[in-house]
Amino acid sequence: MSEDAKQIVFLRGVTKSFAKGGEALTVLHGLDFEVEEGQFLALMGPSGSGKSTLLNLIAGLDVPTAGRVEVAGHDLGALGDGQLAKFRANTLGFVFQSFNLLPVLTAAENVALPLLLTSVPRSERKTRAHTALKVVGLSDRVDHYPRQLSGGQEQRVSIARAIVNDPQIIIADEPTGELDRASADAVLDLLQKLNEELGKTIIMVTHDPRAAKRASSVRELDKGQLS
Amino acid sequence: MTTFGLVLRNALRNKFRSALTILGVALAIVAFIFLRTIITAWNTGADHGAKDRIATRHKLSFVITLPKRYIDVVRQTEGVKGATWANWVGAKDPRNPDNFFASLAVDPESFLEVHHEMKVSEEARQRWFEDRRGAIVGDVLARNMGLKVGDKISLEGTIYPGTFEYQIAGIYEATRRSIDRSQFLIHWDYLNDSLPADRQDQIGWIIARIDDASSSGDISARIDRTFEESDVPTLSMSERQLQVSFLGMLSALLTAVDVISGVILLILALILGNTIAMGVRERQNEFGVLRAIGFLPRHVLAFIMGEAAIVGVAAGILGLAVAYPLVELGMGRFIEENMSAYFPYFRIDVSTYAAALLLSLLLGFIASAIPALRSSRMSVTDALRRVA
Repeated sequence: MSEDAKQIVFLRGVTKSFAKGGEALTVLHGLDFEVEEGQFLALMGPSGSGKSTLLNLIAGLDVPTAGRVEVAGHDLGALGDGQLAKFRANTLGFVFQSFNLLPVLTAAENVALPLLLTSVPRSERKTRAHTALKVVGLSDRVDHYPRQLSGGQEQRVSIARAIVNDPQIIIADEPTGELDRASADAVLDLLQKLNEELGKTIIMVTHDPRAAKRASSVRELDKGQLS
Repeated sequence: MTTFGLVLRNALRNKFRSALTILGVALAIVAFIFLRTIITAWNTGADHGAKDRIATRHKLSFVITLPKRYIDVVRQTEGVKGATWANWVGAKDPRNPDNFFASLAVDPESFLEVHHEMKVSEEARQRWFEDRRGAIVGDVLARNMGLKVGDKISLEGTIYPGTFEYQIAGIYEATRRSIDRSQFLIHWDYLNDSLPADRQDQIGWIIARIDDASSSGDISARIDRTFEESDVPTLSMSERQLQVSFLGMLSALLTAVDVISGVILLILALILGNTIAMGVRERQNEFGVLRAIGFLPRHVLAFIMGEAAIVGVAAGILGLAVAYPLVELGMGRFIEENMSAYFPYFRIDVSTYAAALLLSLLLGFIASAIPALRSSRMSVTDALRRVA
């Protein structure tokens, strides 16, 4: 376990290599990394620096070649596939660059999607989805399909989906990457609000310095090393 | 929204593609039902063959006749309750020589006694018994040839050359499916008397009713043993076997039909498989998202196979809905009217409906198994990188 109880993410000696063209390509080199509970951390760095790889390791979507990853008290290396899925469902909320909403579902249904994995009754799922949409300011869009929403609105629905399970950590991978300035600002306002008012820990990968400024701390990654 | 709701919406998300797939599979189901019906209709007559009847024919071939005196021996065999005989006449209606129907020369009284499932009015029976030129015909053949009681009709013989005139004494119906409702039955005596002396007193086969259906094997063997050492040995068998051997030339065709049914199922699986694989490939990223937010590989597997099952069942139901009027009300009637000697009852069997529906569901599962397994096994990060 981590030395500091407030550390919600704790990585030690993490190396990640990929096989490419018969050779091993090392993206992360013996990385030590921590995130404190309630922190809004921006991870920056050029393309190929290993930001998304690091995010995937923290989210339990990928496994390190070497080293230890602990998140919210779980040693991810000790968890099986099923336990990892449960960990993600209960502990993490995801916000993707391309929103990744299901086009066949309305905004409310997309938000309620993670609740299908729980024993929450149907009516309660609906209530929670509506509450989450209210938090992101989309109460009037509950029955709209993704194609009927703007990019900024889609990303806010995606944030509502990320918080509907009341996770401890929100993982955001380039959340403003496909948005215009105004929409990006609205999304960043929202993430800031979730961090400050609801105490969510946010780990955000971004290329955008303006987005990074909203975070309480910024770490830069270059060639698999943190600076 | 429920899990089933999600699966249903995904199954129908590309409406045009789904509609074409459902239509394609439904057509294959219609073809499957039609071909299966050929086989079940073919087997129906034989399957419904009376259990308490056995037939005796020449040991070598159906076309070699037996001496008429054999009937007395069969009647005296232990376990035999009654017996009759028949000759295949091969008569044709000169007005419509292509219209094939079974024409048999029979002994009227014993024939109706042994074939108790033939329903003939008492008046018609008497008319037929008393008139040597009288004939009774099945209701399907009567309708097909436009015959009614009292009509006179000339038929040309093929096996027994000449033109014979008959008067319709009655029209019979069947109380069981074992009876061909398109037979033309004439007096054996009338035919026999018209033959040259050396061809007289020969019969095609003997049909015997027995006391105990479970002893048909023993009684058949007993009859055949009696004639074993004679110049004309016999082969006795159940009515079902007789019908099968009589129309045995069709068995190869039916095997081919069976194979074609299998090929249709394969085509059906490929149509479904192709569509599913295409749809799944376009949605890898979505499956990645589902896995990222906590869904398990088995959920992805169930979603994909569930969608395929919905498409398969929808196609199955549509296929059934189209096949019913097509076969039961259209093609089936036509076949019964025109090919009743082979298919007296051309109707879709309940088992065929069930098989078609079950197969459409099963094929949905089979067709989606590979894309579903691949998607469920794909790593989340790989799936998230996929772009539709």
